[in-house]
Amino acid sequence: MLRLADIDLIYNAGRVDEVVALRNLSVTFERGQFVTVVGTNGAGKSSLIQTISGAARPTRGRIHLDDRDVTRLPDHRRAGWIARVFDDPRAGTAPELSIEDNLALAMARGRSRGLRFAVTARRRAVMREHVAGLGLGLENRLADRVGLLSAGQRQSLTMVMAALSAPSVLLLDEYLAALDPETTATVLALTTELVRELGATTVMITHNMDHALALGDRLLVMSRGRVIADYDGTEKSEMTVSGLIDRITGAGDALSDRSALIEQGARPRPRPGSARRRSHRTGSDWSGARGAIRSPDGSRR
Amino acid sequence: MTQILLDMLVTGLPLVPVFLGIYTVFRLRADFDLTVEGSFVLGGAVCALTLVHGWPSWLALLAGTAGAAAAGGVTALIHLLLRVPVLLAGLVMSIGLFSVNLHVLDTPTLSLGTVGTLFSGFGSLSGRQADLATSGVMAGVVAAVLVAFGLFLRTELGLALRATGVNARMARSQGVNDRRLTVLALVLANGLAGLGASLAVQYQGYADVNMGGGTFVAGVGAVLLGELFVRPSGSKLVRIVGCVLVGTLAYRLVLVTALRVGLPAGDLRGVTALTLLVAIAAERYLGALGGLTRMLARNARSATTPARQEAA
Ligand SMILES: Nc1ncnc2c1ncn2[C@@H]1O[C@H](COP(=O)(O)OP(=O)(O)OP(=O)(O)O)[C@@H](O)[C@H]1O
Ligand SMILES: [Mg+2]
Repeated sequence: MLRLADIDLIYNAGRVDEVVALRNLSVTFERGQFVTVVGTNGAGKSSLIQTISGAARPTRGRIHLDDRDVTRLPDHRRAGWIARVFDDPRAGTAPELSIEDNLALAMARGRSRGLRFAVTARRRAVMREHVAGLGLGLENRLADRVGLLSAGQRQSLTMVMAALSAPSVLLLDEYLAALDPETTATVLALTTELVRELGATTVMITHNMDHALALGDRLLVMSRGRVIADYDGTEKSEMTVSGLIDRITGAGDALSDRSALIEQGARPRPRPGSARRRSHRTGSDWSGARGAIRSPDGSRR
Repeated sequence: MTQILLDMLVTGLPLVPVFLGIYTVFRLRADFDLTVEGSFVLGGAVCALTLVHGWPSWLALLAGTAGAAAAGGVTALIHLLLRVPVLLAGLVMSIGLFSVNLHVLDTPTLSLGTVGTLFSGFGSLSGRQADLATSGVMAGVVAAVLVAFGLFLRTELGLALRATGVNARMARSQGVNDRRLTVLALVLANGLAGLGASLAVQYQGYADVNMGGGTFVAGVGAVLLGELFVRPSGSKLVRIVGCVLVGTLAYRLVLVTALRVGLPAGDLRGVTALTLLVAIAAERYLGALGGLTRMLARNARSATTPARQEAA
C-alpha cells in the first residue's frame, strides 16, 4: 500500500517565482492497484510522480510505502521498491552504454553495489530471457549501444529494466507520448502484461483519454495540485471520453492541446453523461472495481 | 629514432595513470576537475618526502597516491557540502594546494639525492639500457593499473560510475547514489594522478612545486588525441584504457620530437596547446582517424575478396 498524506510540494518557496505544484494532497493506493491519472498541463501529475519516486521532497506531508515512512528517503534509496519510466525515451536509459550494461544496472537495483562483475554469463542468460519476451530481437544485440535503438525499442527496454527487480510500485509518466500508434500498442500490451505479472501498484499518467478509461481499475483527475475526482473501476467503465473531458475542463482549466486532439478523435460511447463522479476524500470502499483483488480501503480519510 | 621512442616511454608512461584519472572525470563523469594540477604535485611531494625519510620506494609510491587521493576527497567534499560545481571546487583546490605542497616540500625543489628509488638499481647500466630497464618497470606498473582499472569498470560499482556520467537521473532512478560516486570518481582520479607523479619523481630524482602546471590541459589533449585513434564508448572498456594509453604516448611523442628538433623547453606548453587544437580540429573536420582506417581496411577487404573468389 502506498499512502500520501497532506502533501504540499512548493517549488522556489518564498521567492517571487514560487509555484505550488501539489496542495494538501492525500491519496492512498492499494497494493496491486492500477491507477490512471489525467489532468491539464501543469496540474501536478508529474509532481505527484516526482514525490512518490523521491526525486522531489515534499514541503509538507508524509509518504508511506506499506509500513515504512519513506518521506525522507532520496530517490536512489527508494529505487528498490519504486520503478519509474520517464516520458522521454532517452531519459530512462544510458545511451552510451550497451543494452546489457543498462540491464545490469537495473538488476542491481535495491542492492548495494560492490566489486562483483556487473555482467556475468548467468546474468546475461537472465537478460536474454527477459528481452526475448519483447519480440524485438534485442536478445541478439545485447552488446549494442542503447543509443542505436529507436524510441519504442528504448521505451520497451526501460519497461523491462523497471520490471527486473520486481518493484512494488511502478510509475509511468506519459511514457507513451513519443511513440507512434503501433509501437504504443506494443508497449502498452507489454505494460499490462508486466503489471499483471508483477502485481505492482501502478500509477500511469496519460493525456490519452481512451487509455485513461480503458486501462486500470481506478482513475484520478488532477487540477491545480489537487485530486479533484476519483473514480473506481465501475464508475470508470461507465465513463465516456467527453464526460471525462467535461470533468477536466469543468475545473476551469484550459484543455491541453494534446487532450483536445484526442477529443476530436474520440468516438461517443453509450450512456453519455451517466458517469457519476465522487469528489475526492469522501470515504467509501472500492470493492466494486472490475477484477480487483484488493481489500476495501479502510485507511482512507 | 630509438632514443625518441625511449624518451617518449620514460616520460610518457608515468603520465598514463594521470591521464586515466583525467579521462575518468572528463569523459566518464562528463565533468572538469582542476584539482589534478595541485594533487599531481602533492602526490610527487609526499612521495619525495617519504623517500627522503627512508621509506621503501614502493611504499612511497603508495603514500604519494594516497596523498593525492585525499586531495580529491577534499574537492568532493567542497563540491557536495558547499554545492559548488566540481570545476570551481577543483580550481580552489589547485590554488590552495600550491601552498600545501610548498609546506610539504619545505623548499621549491626537493632533491632525492642518493636515496633508493624504484629505478636506482639501473644506475650502473649505460644510458640506453637504463632507459630500457626504467621503461620496463614503468610499463609493468602502468599495465597493472590499466588492467585493474578496466576490471574495476566492469564491476557493479564501475558500471554505476559510468552510468552517472551519461545519465545521472536514470542512474539515480536505478538506485545509484551519485553523490557517493562523485566522491569515488574524484578520489580515484586524483589518486591516479598521485601515482603517476610518484613514478615521475622517482625517475627524475626530485620533486618540484611547479611540476603540475598544465597537467589538466595536457591530459584533455591526450584524451582527445587518443580518441582520434581509438573510438572509446561507455561500454567498450578495452578501448577506454587503450585510448588513454595511445593518447598519452602520442602526446609525449609530439613533445619529445619537438625537444629533439631543438625547440627550447619554454615552448613546450605552446606545443601542448597546439596539439590540443589540432586534435580538436581533426575531430571536427576529418572525422575519426580510426573511422578512416577502418573504412580503408573494409575497402581493402572488399577489394581483395572478389579477387580471391576469382582465383578459387
Ligand atoms: N522544477 C520545477 N521548478 C519550478 N516549478 C516547477 C518545476 N517542476 C514543475 N513545476 C511547476 O509545477 C506545476 C506542476 O507541474 P507538473 O510538471 O507536475 O505538471 P503536469 O501535470 O505533469 O503537467 P504536464 O501535463 O504538462 O506534464 C507547474 O506549474 C510547473 O510549472
Ligand atoms: Mg508532466
